[in-house]
Amino acid sequence: MAQDTTVPKLTFEYWLDKAIEWGQATTLESQKDVCLHLPQLQEFLHQLYETIKNLQGSTIAIQRFPLIGQLLGRLCWNPFVIGYDESQKTLMWCLCCLYSSEPQNAVELKANSWIRSLLCHLLCSSKWESNEAETSTFISALGYTSADYYCHLVKNMVISLVTELRENQFNGLKIQESTSASRVKAVSIFCVPLITLPDLTPLLETLLLYHGGLSKEILSLEFLEAVNEAFLKKKITLSESAVFSLWLRHLPSLEKATLHLLDQLFSIQWNSLEEVVRVIKDSLLPQAASHPAIFRIVNEIFKNALMETDGTSEVMTIIQVFTQLFLQTHQNEYKQHKFPLKAYFPYHHQPLVRGLIRRPFELPTAYWSQHLKHISDMVKALVEDTNTSSLIDLFEIWFLVACFGEWVDIAAEQLLKAAVEPDAVLWLLAFYYCPKNENQQRTQTMVEAEAVYNHLMMLFSCADLSLKDLEAAVHRVMGIEQCCNQRLTTHLLTNFLLFSPGGHKLAQKCIYHITETTDTSTGVYNLLIRTAYRFNHSGEENQRAVKLLNELLQKLTFKV
Amino acid sequence: MEAVLGQVEQLPALLAVSRSPLVRDWDPVTLDRALEWARYFQHLHDRFLARPQLREALGRRLRRSQPYPPLGFPALGRCPQLLGLALLENRALPPAACRRLLRSLLQPPGTGIGPEPRGLELLARRKAAARLLALPQLQADAQLLAEAEVRAEAELLLRRLREERQEGGEAAGQRRWLGRALEQLPQPRALAVVAAALALLPPAADSDGDGSSPDGHPASAAGDGCTAGLLLSWLLDNQERFSAFCLCLPGSRLAFLAGHYSQLSTSYLDLLTCWGSHLHYDPLQGRWVKSGLDKAEVSWEELKERFSRLCQGSAPLEEQTRAALKLLRTRDGDFRVRGLSVWTDLLMEIGY
Repeated sequence: MAQDTTVPKLTFEYWLDKAIEWGQATTLESQKDVCLHLPQLQEFLHQLYETIKNLQGSTIAIQRFPLIGQLLGRLCWNPFVIGYDESQKTLMWCLCCLYSSEPQNAVELKANSWIRSLLCHLLCSSKWESNEAETSTFISALGYTSADYYCHLVKNMVISLVTELRENQFNGLKIQESTSASRVKAVSIFCVPLITLPDLTPLLETLLLYHGGLSKEILSLEFLEAVNEAFLKKKITLSESAVFSLWLRHLPSLEKATLHLLDQLFSIQWNSLEEVVRVIKDSLLPQAASHPAIFRIVNEIFKNALMETDGTSEVMTIIQVFTQLFLQTHQNEYKQHKFPLKAYFPYHHQPLVRGLIRRPFELPTAYWSQHLKHISDMVKALVEDTNTSSLIDLFEIWFLVACFGEWVDIAAEQLLKAAVEPDAVLWLLAFYYCPKNENQQRTQTMVEAEAVYNHLMMLFSCADLSLKDLEAAVHRVMGIEQCCNQRLTTHLLTNFLLFSPGGHKLAQKCIYHITETTDTSTGVYNLLIRTAYRFNHSGEENQRAVKLLNELLQKLTFKV
Repeated sequence: MEAVLGQVEQLPALLAVSRSPLVRDWDPVTLDRALEWARYFQHLHDRFLARPQLREALGRRLRRSQPYPPLGFPALGRCPQLLGLALLENRALPPAACRRLLRSLLQPPGTGIGPEPRGLELLARRKAAARLLALPQLQADAQLLAEAEVRAEAELLLRRLREERQEGGEAAGQRRWLGRALEQLPQPRALAVVAAALALLPPAADSDGDGSSPDGHPASAAGDGCTAGLLLSWLLDNQERFSAFCLCLPGSRLAFLAGHYSQLSTSYLDLLTCWGSHLHYDPLQGRWVKSGLDKAEVSWEELKERFSRLCQGSAPLEEQTRAALKLLRTRDGDFRVRGLSVWTDLLMEIGY
């Protein structure tokens, strides 16, 4: 008989025992236990359906699973199970499979009648349920169905709970604090199976914004986790304030949301920075980061991501975009609600924070190189200060610079576009790509950077360049063992190709050559989409550079 | 168009059959045909939704045979659900047809049957949600739960009345139908539903107001006035019913409604006057007591409570109440001594 045993007998008995134990889930203990098992039960029901869907009529199914009627019947009377996600659908499918179109014996006849009763119980405002008998006739006298009635009923029940919770919170009933706390917790437990039911949204939001007088968490942890999960999977939409409140009161949810964002960004192909911006904005994290606690935790997670990936250019780009979006929200906030900058960067040198936080478009272009020199000097002073020489301190300074990496991109651009005193700006770039100086690496990088820069500047005004002229620089990219120098050189070379009069003719070939023979292609790609984004948003006068950039991006998109 | 109208005219019969024992002769093919018709009607609904003239024509044709419950254009859109659920509840449907019904209603994956009334899963979920949210651990107050149920019924009643009005049904017919629908509920519940419905109507419904309603349609505000009128006339046309209505609702609730509906406030004051005149003063106990055995009366305390609630209402309502009481006091001789006139004593108690 049983060819496939996708539903082991053992689990069948396990779930039947559970169903008997739960009954109609009237005690809080059994309710909690049901909630805990709902996802597994749904999985089991699905397997059961897959097994019985090809059996004809109920007799064979009953032979294989003698207790199937008992199990399904009991589950149909458990509102937690019926309310959960897609369990009701699978249960009804199972019942549908057991219904015989040509009942052959008394058992099948009885099964048919029983199945119809169960379905009526699930779907109709049934005439057999004591308090609903009159409602049922009234609703049909109005020409409506149970579907219309329950839609209105649930909405009203939710409104009534929401009103009560809000009043409770405002009145701050001190006397009944402990009883009301346990009730609020019960409400949150009961919501778990129903979280993805849209009618519940106002209740979920009210609960998430509800704070009892006690310092302890008043909502059930299962509820918080489940709401976060549903939100991240986009199964529900919640108001921003409710989401922020969730993340503030339950840190594991915030962590999950941040990791989810990173996963999401790593799993898609970025065609432009606009796309990255959209995904990050959709996550609501930059908006939530207006709360300093959230900002700092998200940044901690970013730091870990940087260390784990050894600072790949994607993570650097993500952090840079996140910081920009955070600043946008922060600047748009009403003055009286704004937290001071120090709340977000409590352990950093405040003048440096203030310098970095200026958005480039807030300053006249002519002032940029001066501003960069100012930043570079401050960073240099901090780094060279013997009091802040520990690796951790160094990392914190570097991370701060990385968050505002837009200024680093501008630094590399300014070196080739404007008349700047190169030393300070080059130093900032060297620090960005090579923060450590234990064995004089950074000093070495600086020397290297100066050499490349001088070489490129010499070629800058040549209108008629050949690949041979660039060979020295290209060689540096390809022949360098230290990867930070390679990245720095690539950065400078790319900008040279974009902005020098002679470079654009060679650009395609040169970039192709570099990305083919080294593993710098993601780095170059990230640099280019960041530059394109800046061009699109602040305007670039050099139309040739804009055109070239777009061509380069099109070629690279297919490759990366 | 005439062909379409002819088809639509069949709908009441189709729905009536689906609720009758006649379905015992249905086989799967008949069932499929019935469901197809239902889908077709839904399709007509979606197609003509934005075309008022055609809507009206369809609605008129639907009402021609005077079906009960009355059907209107919106019923076309609900057709698959009306038919599907009616058949599910009809035990006369034979097994083969029933199996086909279940398959197409619940549409298990891979059955390849066309699009069907969606949302039966949603219905089951909502029904379960209603049971969950009603569990005693959640509902500290059984009263609140009962109110939510009554409000749901009241909302559906209002929705139906609005649909009827948009369909242009004539007032007498609507009144007849309203009475018949409310008869389905036990009287206290029917009265509670009507009270909830009156409370749910936007405030401008009775008086002229600024002519707008929550959904922003001036026409709908005027229409809500008609709806309120219909409900009020059901309530006020029968003295016994109105008296029961006032007895089962608390004074605060009635004061609220009286503040919104002037027709209701007048009748309510008349009723209170009648109740008050049945009280007589017991000099031995030194207070006003009920005179007879009639249940439909209130005690002195309750009368006092109801009058003071009215006086706490809006300024015009307070004015109207005070004027009525003063007139009654004058009629009783205007003696300002306790124990002579119930109205004098009431006015003194309330503080005038």
